[in-house]
Amino acid sequence: MYKKASFAVLIVATIILVGSGCVFGQVLNIAIPQDPDSFDPVKTVAAATGEIAFNIYEGLVKATPLGEVEGALASHWTVDETGTIYTFYLRHALFHDGTKVQEEDVAFSLNRARDPEVAVRASELDMIEDVNVVDEGIEIRLSEPNGAFIYSLSEVYASIVPAHAGDLSRKPVGTGPYYLDEWTPNQQLALRRFDHHWSGETPYFEEANFLLIPDENSMVLNLKAGRVDLIPRLEVGVLHQVERDPDIEVLSVPMNLVQVFSINNARAPFDDLRVRKALALGVNRPEILIGAAWGLGTMLDSALSPAMAGFYNDSLAEVNPYDPAKAKELLKDAGQENLKLTLTLPANYPLHVQTGELVAEQWKALGIEVDLQIVEWGTWLERVYTQRDYDVSVIGLAGRLDPHAILVRYTTDSSRNFFNFSNERYDALIDLGIKTVGRERREVYLEAQAILAEELPGIFIMDPPQLAAMKKGIQGFKNYPTYVVDVASLYR
Amino acid sequence: MLTAIVVSIVTFLVLQVLPGDPARLMLGTEATPEVYARVRHELALDQPPLGRYLNWFWGFLRGEWGNSWRYSMPVRGLALQAFPLSFSLGLSAVGLSLLVAIPSGIFMAIKPASLLARALSVATQVSFGLPQFWVGLLLIQVFAVELRLLPAGGNASPLGLLLPTLTLALPRSAILGRFMRAGMAEAMQQDYVRTARAKGLAGGVVIYKHALRNGVLSVFTIAGLQFAQLLAGTIVIEQVFGLPGVGQLLLAGVFQRDLPLVQALVMVIVLFILLFDLLFDLGLGLLDPRIRYE
Repeated sequence: MYKKASFAVLIVATIILVGSGCVFGQVLNIAIPQDPDSFDPVKTVAAATGEIAFNIYEGLVKATPLGEVEGALASHWTVDETGTIYTFYLRHALFHDGTKVQEEDVAFSLNRARDPEVAVRASELDMIEDVNVVDEGIEIRLSEPNGAFIYSLSEVYASIVPAHAGDLSRKPVGTGPYYLDEWTPNQQLALRRFDHHWSGETPYFEEANFLLIPDENSMVLNLKAGRVDLIPRLEVGVLHQVERDPDIEVLSVPMNLVQVFSINNARAPFDDLRVRKALALGVNRPEILIGAAWGLGTMLDSALSPAMAGFYNDSLAEVNPYDPAKAKELLKDAGQENLKLTLTLPANYPLHVQTGELVAEQWKALGIEVDLQIVEWGTWLERVYTQRDYDVSVIGLAGRLDPHAILVRYTTDSSRNFFNFSNERYDALIDLGIKTVGRERREVYLEAQAILAEELPGIFIMDPPQLAAMKKGIQGFKNYPTYVVDVASLYR
Repeated sequence: MLTAIVVSIVTFLVLQVLPGDPARLMLGTEATPEVYARVRHELALDQPPLGRYLNWFWGFLRGEWGNSWRYSMPVRGLALQAFPLSFSLGLSAVGLSLLVAIPSGIFMAIKPASLLARALSVATQVSFGLPQFWVGLLLIQVFAVELRLLPAGGNASPLGLLLPTLTLALPRSAILGRFMRAGMAEAMQQDYVRTARAKGLAGGVVIYKHALRNGVLSVFTIAGLQFAQLLAGTIVIEQVFGLPGVGQLLLAGVFQRDLPLVQALVMVIVLFILLFDLLFDLGLGLLDPRIRYE
């Protein structure tokens, strides 16, 4: 009798323990295809890092799902009448190691981020002349007014780290709602909730594990088997495997990525606008959307995604409509009826490869001979991006919060202008845009987008869909115009 | 030893010849030319190749394997994490293959006309022909999604290695089974087997004592090769099951042109294989007294 009773007690105790485990130690498992590069905010370049770092680091300001910025470590800030002196005032906030965030940490972090000897993207902060600690605040002086400045403070590279921090690449110390507990390459990154976040809010999940699963089919099976709760970026090719699963929910949101056929504008015969125009008129975008993105993407007529609502030019739809007859005519005019071109595609992006293959067929219908070359990423970066030794290629250009960061790559002197595009009026507009604030700034970028649509450094195709697949019951998924997963907003 | 040096030179040269610049891969598409030049300098990519190779080689000998460019952590730590996994996976897969292959091979050899032997023969052919990633996905679907018996991936628990082991063992046991059958069938026709039979030994003794010892030699040789191959990692299986083995590490290293990582991994693999070859030859000598080393 006594034995039986103790056995019953044991069972009840087990149930309580297991049950309470479900209440307290909430764990979220997120599938990602590849490892981050480095968690040092000024050294990382991989989108895979930014996606996770968003939860670990914070800047003076941070991006909102609507693409605006709001105060993060800065509670508020002021701008003087010249538009060149910003003063930021800090909240009471703690780093993950328990030390208080001081004005000196901010100055240290920003000076480090704009130092070309350490920071990879120092040039993005070169509008800053000086960072000084003044009474109760941080004063940042700019060389001239700059519309993109406040947005750049929300980027990973402008994250605030402690001045006493050691090597951050493997052991990040930030102020975000989660901290990195353990990182085992090719296996997983374990994030834990930081219970002293300045907001005083407690995110639902105590642990968030980013599990590395490179194979997209396996990712889906892991979701179905319950090992994974969330796939933030599902390959569109495996969507059909989860679409009808009643236990899985899929959200489709714009990615704020501009998929573009880049054309080498410096190479004959593509230096002839008629040839570029013919290529553009020969592209049937609705067909590509269905063929490569299951009809889920957003068609693009501009170098900006409609996700950039404040600056997007929505009147360009009729500039390059699908018109194969006109395209053939233009090729004839240009004396290029027997045009041959090489289309170089980056093998690691199935979407771009598929898009390229579809368009190759459409161009063949115009009598163009298309030689498809599928190359590995390292080769693509070297040949297409660096040496600019190519005819036509397909790539996705990541969206940013501010249009300048996206549009500046089409200026003549930009090192990122692998289009070899050059247009005086355009260069002047981009110069003007950065110095302009308010409503006029929008007008400048509308015209700049119109020039790109007319002059065709490349052919804009779509903003691909971002598919977030999650177990039924996971709530609060927030879509940002930047490449992040906001773990703190999720709950079950 | 010479083999190892030659392999290291070839690896180095291949990484030089491949298009793609490590500094550019590290920096992605946003860096300025100044930053690019600085990183190239930091990685010593602006030095002549011969000097870089000798530097690396000298460092490797002294146990200084450097930092991985891709993971910004010591190469040695990465290798120490990946090799044990690939080692145990290889060992269990080959072990399981042998456990399946030896009895089924013997059976196919001594009772070739039986229904079971024919079924086994078909089964080996089929399992040899199936693509591994597909088998892996199928096993996940059945055991993790439908039955919920085993984890779908990862190596958090030893159970997680069960499905990848099965996936790897399937085609390997098929190959080994075929070799076992052929070896046995050949041995059974040898004079000494006939003699043994003629002097009236029981069938079981003839088979297990006389024929098996000769028939199994080729099977062990192949199994040894299979194990050596698995040590170098199995990219497809590691990707499907999300396992942090040597294959994935090597793949990431090659994609990023991560010279320190790739060089060190290749060297460890080569040294392992050389060592293994030696042990294996010695082992075969024990099994087959005819093999002698001068």
